[in-house]
Amino acid sequence: MDRETQLKLLKDMLLARAFEERAAEEYTKGNIAGFLHLYPGEEAVAVGVLNAAGPSDYVVSTYREHVHAMLRGISPDQVMAELFGKKDGCSHGMGGSMHLFDRQKRFMGGYGIVGETFPVATGIAYSIAMKQQPEAVICFFGDGAVNQGTFHESLNMAALWGLPVLFVCENNHYQIGTEIHRHSAVAEVYKRACGYRIPARRIDGMNVLEVYEATGQALQQIYAGTGPQLLEFETYRFRGHSMADPGSYRPKVEVEAFKDQEDPVAIAIRETLPCYPSADEISAAGPDVINKLCSQMDNLGHLDNRQLEALRSEVAQIVDDAVAFALASPEPTLEDAQAYLDCNRQQEVLI
Amino acid sequence: MAEEMFYWQALNRALYQQMEADDSVFLLGEDVGLYGGSYRVSEGLYARFGEWRVRDTPISEGSFTGLGVGAALLGSRPVVEIMTINFALLALDAIINMATKIPFMSGGQFPMPLVVRTPGGVAKQLAAQHSQRLEQTLMNVPGLRIAVPATPQDAWWQLNQAIRSDEPIIVLEHELLYFSKGEVDTQVEAPPMHRARVHRQGADLTIVTYSRMLQVSLQAAEQLSAQGIEATVIDLRSLRPIDWDSCVQSIEQTHRLLVVEEDSSFAGAGAEIIAGLSERCFYLLDEPPKRLAARELPIAYNGTLEAMSIPRPADIVAAATDLCQTKDAI
Amino acid sequence: MKQPITMPALSDTMETGHLHQWLKQPGDAIKKGQAIAEVESDKAVMEIEAFADGYLQGPLAATDADYKIGETIAWLSDTATDTENNEAIPPASEPQTARPQTAPSTETKTAEAAPLLPTVNAAAASQHKSSPYARGLARDLGISLEHIAPSADGIIHGKQVLAAALAPPQPDLKAGPPYRYKLLTPMHRAVADNMSATLQTPTFRVSSLLDLQPLQEYAKANGFSLSLLLARACALAIKKHPLFNAAYTDAGLALRDRVDVSIAVDVPGGLLTPVLRDMAQKPLADLSADWQKLKQKIARRRLQPEDYQGATFYLSNLGTFPAVSRFDAIVPLGACAILALGAAQKNQAEATLSCDHRVVYGAEAGRFFSTLQNIIKQPEGLTDV
Repeated sequence: MDRETQLKLLKDMLLARAFEERAAEEYTKGNIAGFLHLYPGEEAVAVGVLNAAGPSDYVVSTYREHVHAMLRGISPDQVMAELFGKKDGCSHGMGGSMHLFDRQKRFMGGYGIVGETFPVATGIAYSIAMKQQPEAVICFFGDGAVNQGTFHESLNMAALWGLPVLFVCENNHYQIGTEIHRHSAVAEVYKRACGYRIPARRIDGMNVLEVYEATGQALQQIYAGTGPQLLEFETYRFRGHSMADPGSYRPKVEVEAFKDQEDPVAIAIRETLPCYPSADEISAAGPDVINKLCSQMDNLGHLDNRQLEALRSEVAQIVDDAVAFALASPEPTLEDAQAYLDCNRQQEVLI
Repeated sequence: MAEEMFYWQALNRALYQQMEADDSVFLLGEDVGLYGGSYRVSEGLYARFGEWRVRDTPISEGSFTGLGVGAALLGSRPVVEIMTINFALLALDAIINMATKIPFMSGGQFPMPLVVRTPGGVAKQLAAQHSQRLEQTLMNVPGLRIAVPATPQDAWWQLNQAIRSDEPIIVLEHELLYFSKGEVDTQVEAPPMHRARVHRQGADLTIVTYSRMLQVSLQAAEQLSAQGIEATVIDLRSLRPIDWDSCVQSIEQTHRLLVVEEDSSFAGAGAEIIAGLSERCFYLLDEPPKRLAARELPIAYNGTLEAMSIPRPADIVAAATDLCQTKDAI
Repeated sequence: MKQPITMPALSDTMETGHLHQWLKQPGDAIKKGQAIAEVESDKAVMEIEAFADGYLQGPLAATDADYKIGETIAWLSDTATDTENNEAIPPASEPQTARPQTAPSTETKTAEAAPLLPTVNAAAASQHKSSPYARGLARDLGISLEHIAPSADGIIHGKQVLAAALAPPQPDLKAGPPYRYKLLTPMHRAVADNMSATLQTPTFRVSSLLDLQPLQEYAKANGFSLSLLLARACALAIKKHPLFNAAYTDAGLALRDRVDVSIAVDVPGGLLTPVLRDMAQKPLADLSADWQKLKQKIARRRLQPEDYQGATFYLSNLGTFPAVSRFDAIVPLGACAILALGAAQKNQAEATLSCDHRVVYGAEAGRFFSTLQNIIKQPEGLTDV
């Protein structure tokens, strides 16, 4: 892989990390509300997959989709503004963190109900296949989603009709708080695809270069018309206390929760609350995706510290600008909301 | 005997009491076990009763609710927690086609002691998919009972009653009520599960409401009182059946009816309440009955728009004032 | 092209207007700002002005009837001949607001005298909207909504039915000859309400023969009205017997120092009670001027509430009818007494003082008459106070 591509991947991951950390900070300041699902730890998946994707591919994502949206070309300004609920957000303040959309960028939405991405992606693929376009749909989902009926129903139809879908499992091993062995009889997600004769592989989702390569290969086959593929990327999320000690953190959470009885929503969103592990905790848990890529590039002589610092300050500036943009953006009005609801009403006037 | 506690604690206590008393009661749902429930309702139960009685499920609402139906056929008393009512849409087949139909279609052979607990309503900036109030979807299902506890005391009473009942019952909770506090007397005898409760007496109008809108209506009633309008505030506590008699008794005194709901008005719960009371109270009404409901919009993520989308105390005050315009005129 | 002319809002509180007369006829050319009709609001008679140039076109709404604000009462067209179909006049917004001059009795709808507004339905003309509660109450209490006037919103509510239930029974006219309704003018309604309101006042009457000759001579010589001099005399008597200037209230007797005397005046279609202020203190010449102004306002029907409200004592003089030897009058709310004067015979006229027994007693009335007789013996004293 050439150095330019590697640098691009690194910058994307740095931006993703910086953006999410800043989102967490803005959440604590009250600028962002509701559910906020953050991506740190999993950057290699989105960055690898979406850098390998073609510009005309469609993306359907979950409620943990800020990074996916930015990688598809939605500006950090617009994503941050949406997180702030502002009119200049990519969903004009109607959707918020979980519901980023951009039709032009073919970013077909973040969906809040687990398992919704499968049928939506299948339908988009059906439409592409009807028109015989050399395009694909990339359908993101978590390991928790594979026990929804829609997973099985959609995989069956996609295989049956040879639809151009790349199913991308971001397996972070947790369905909210339930570890994969406690929610799935078969903990290897890729194995489920064989029930529908869908080619599937399991890839190290912490290694962005592998993610990139595997995705590129899968997409080439899909473009060639061979039907859907499934890639399972094993990854981790650095949220809450889960990364540092996945086996024994629950009692600690309960203890914390007891102390925290004022805000009614606090418990609902405690999963989303930022609590970044220390560098020690991260190294104890395994290699961080960003450190890993840095050392890979270092070995090839593709990166020096000065460059890395320059990249870091560049993304910091982008994130600062995004926050400033979001703060300055106006709030949407009720008239706006009504207009969005009625956006598909043509000339008809309802009584 | 009364003790102050959170709404979630009242539910937690009720679950504990019922599970302690009856081995056939079991709880299942996403993150109800090790995690203790998204809103802490099942906290501590996993440790006490073990994984067979407190089951963490996959994200498979349709099937784990259906599993509850199957278990109920054999006399178990499942309490299914669906994390939010928005996910209950995936379980409507189990609730509507199975739970309420099997006892009927079998000619009355099977009990259906199924309880589905789920929070609904608008919380804080959870956006359109997570801010729904779908009670109207469930109200139109014969055979399904719907309890809507608005206070910790009612949460305690009604969950206990729901688990003891052999009918399928939805207990509709509310995200913003879990951390509301109130007195709970665990010894006092409970009123019937569907009996409405009069929270405030006033001669000028009757406000009929339920769930979180009770608190909003009570706030409004205080403001109304300051400007000389005395409202009776009735918490329905149950949306199927509805305690019409309590409402009629109040309208006999006030002759004015305002229904406050968090749902949108079109074909919403308030539509049924107004229709039912108009049939019963037509000759008691001195003004056209009025509904105050959410706007006919999905809930926007934006916080300002969200707040404007559902009734606030000031909206209730304005509607009530309008309704009472002729109260002193001769 | 023609536009409707509607009943205008002529005061802040006006809801309906009583159409007195048309000043223009269909086909008349009209300039913007010109008066086309006279309307009596709840306050006064006023003119309706044209809001544009054009020609007045019918059908004109019937006069001597009430119309709600905004209701069409005529049309303004831009041509002299009305080529358009007059039947196109929109129906009155609500049935009860359109009132033909004579609504046929409820039993028979006669073909004659078809109302000028063609859409008026005779049966509906006597109906108001009523709330279900009002209807339920009326049914249970056996009250006909037909006789009940609506609330301010045009709808009969439970309150009105309850008030009607507590009000005196309505006559049952069914057994008698066919009848028709003449709606009360605002003035007539006001008098009826004011008189009914006095039913709770326990009243006694004391009469006295007054020698009016000195007063009549003095009036003639100085160009004063006899009623004015008599009112002045009463005011001076009240100064000596101040209880006659008091009013009974639940909170206690309302004592007033200033004596404001009202003189009842007969006008077509009703009764007005213009008030002369400070009758015991003001120079007589000033009072005489005040009286002239009031009489002019009455003639032009421009009397304002401040002109006829708040009297502390009343005088009613039927002395101009030689056939009347004596009568007694009703004490209005807010006053203690009213003096009713019959026609003089051989200079002697019989006066009857009706008094609120909660304020004064018979002996006090006797003393009042003694004082009054002394005052009118020497009319010169009326001038200087």
